[in-house]
Amino acid sequence: MASAVSARKNVSGPTIPPAVLKAMLAIFLFIIVPVALSWIGGGYLFQVATTTLIFIILASSLNLVTGTAGLLSLGHAGFYGIGAYAAALLSTRLGLSFLATLPLAGVAAGAVGVLVALPTMRLVSIYFAVATLGIGEMIYVILLNWTGFTHGPMGIRGIPPIDLLGWQPGTPLFDYLVVAAVTALSLWAMSRLMHSYYGNALRAVREDDQCADAMGLNVVRLKIEAFGVSCFFAGIAGALFCHTAGFISPDQFRFAESINILAMVVVGGLGSLPGAVIGAALLIILPEALRSFGDFRMIAIGSIMFLSILLQPKGLLGEASALDLLRRQFGQGWSGNFATRVGWR
Amino acid sequence: MIDIYFVQQIINGLSIGLVYALIAIGFTLIFGVLNVVNFAHGEVYTIGAFAGLMLITWIAPPVLAIVLMVLAAGAFVGIGLERLAFRPFRRFRDEASLKSRAMREATLLSSLAVSITAREVMNLAFGSQMQTIPHAYLLQRPIVFGQLSITVGDLVIFVASALMLASLQFMLFRTRIGLSIRAVSNSPLGARYVGIDTDRAIVATFAIGSMLGAAAGILVGLYDGMITPQMGFAPGIKAFVAMVMGGLSSIPGAVICALILGVSESVATEFLASGWKDLVSYSFLIVTLVFFPQGLFGVGRERA
Repeated sequence: MASAVSARKNVSGPTIPPAVLKAMLAIFLFIIVPVALSWIGGGYLFQVATTTLIFIILASSLNLVTGTAGLLSLGHAGFYGIGAYAAALLSTRLGLSFLATLPLAGVAAGAVGVLVALPTMRLVSIYFAVATLGIGEMIYVILLNWTGFTHGPMGIRGIPPIDLLGWQPGTPLFDYLVVAAVTALSLWAMSRLMHSYYGNALRAVREDDQCADAMGLNVVRLKIEAFGVSCFFAGIAGALFCHTAGFISPDQFRFAESINILAMVVVGGLGSLPGAVIGAALLIILPEALRSFGDFRMIAIGSIMFLSILLQPKGLLGEASALDLLRRQFGQGWSGNFATRVGWR
Repeated sequence: MIDIYFVQQIINGLSIGLVYALIAIGFTLIFGVLNVVNFAHGEVYTIGAFAGLMLITWIAPPVLAIVLMVLAAGAFVGIGLERLAFRPFRRFRDEASLKSRAMREATLLSSLAVSITAREVMNLAFGSQMQTIPHAYLLQRPIVFGQLSITVGDLVIFVASALMLASLQFMLFRTRIGLSIRAVSNSPLGARYVGIDTDRAIVATFAIGSMLGAAAGILVGLYDGMITPQMGFAPGIKAFVAMVMGGLSSIPGAVICALILGVSESVATEFLASGWKDLVSYSFLIVTLVFFPQGLFGVGRERA
């Protein structure tokens, strides 16, 4: 066994130690990007960067349920919307601070996700996709028409910006740094989840649920848990969005947004966490860069998605290579000493 | 008096339901032969309406000619759609990839991508604002039966849908191409073994399904008088719901469920503010999926 591991290491050449690699990523996210953006100048660029980070959370959370667990969800924006509205209502009505609304928004979205998942999770393949589509639209209709509670199509204005223990600078740089920190934490949590035995169980369910059932996995429970966790992170992203944008309305959480998030995951590669990150960054930054040529945002998203399915069906960074990358370079799961690195058992 | 109003709502609901039914048949036919959902079907409906508008503004033919030309346009769009979004993913023909989930999901996502692109291109070409159909073409003249008053549009939708449903039945059960469509939807591999040109059957299915969808689009355009590039989304989802309720592969089931949806939406506006009426069909969807996972009229299918 040991020789096999060392042989694989030799093939891959000299590897950078995982700790150094993680530190480099952190330096990039927290120092290089903000410095470069301040250099070029512009609160607008910080807004784009913050939006990109929020969509990175959304794409990777959808990737957990659609890529890893294999449940095609077409209503992810609905749960994003629940998180955003929960955080907005908690902070405008009850005056709670960001540190309280962030987890509560996640819990609200996760709880609705589990409630929705309980009856629908026994559905297979396309039936489940249809059910999530219906639920996403139901959430939209409720947000739109329950005017007493959500202000309906007018949306909610004047949501307070992010504050930490009463300190509220409200600058784009501060917003960016907080969102970056939450994104880094969420990505870390999701990657640990996907690269544990638990993640393997989810992949087994995706490949063949009857077989996984026969192997003693509780298929329905695994699916419900994965869906709940995914909705939790979508809710977190919603809270970040409502506090950084300051204004939300139901239109921002409709089917088109679900498709947008799905396109990110598909372009990046279903089941691959770095792929979801790359896909989200690509599909947010590219249309922004093309904005001067007219409003081609959705056309760009549609055509990128179509071309990537046609030419690169596994995505930019397919699941197998992504798993390999994360395991070998980032020390997730099986690299090095087998017995000590494996969690959850 | 209230009873008359109620009957009126039911008649309105029936004509909405028939429109959903025409769209749902396209979904069902295509799902039957390919085992994938064609997400671009709502856009075919929109294209039908816009093709009708362009014909009216350019040539101004009589209504019957418009419907026939829109049918042709629909067939053309369907064939193009199949070429673009579905044919490239049918390269592999062995049994494993016919049943493979990954292949099916790729096709589903590609139709989704094509539908977004088509909708946005129409948005750019026609503007996202409402377009109005010239008044002379509108089918809104009322016909009065005693206390009951229905519009010409309702009547046209009833007659046109009945004609199209009847010719669909004739085509499916009395012609060679209908036989091959039914064979392919029964078993794609088996149809190939007995020498049926499956590609031709699939193209024919797309042409027929899209003809019905485009016809629904122009009928609604003439009935309501206004069309937008986004108009295909909501009826598309309703038709999709009808198909799922009907059991995914049953055409009579889809038609009956579409009528149920149309009538219940129309009646629901009696009790609810009109914004909530969309909730009715989504609730129907969830309830059906939870309690009748095979649909109301579906037969037990092989687990996919």
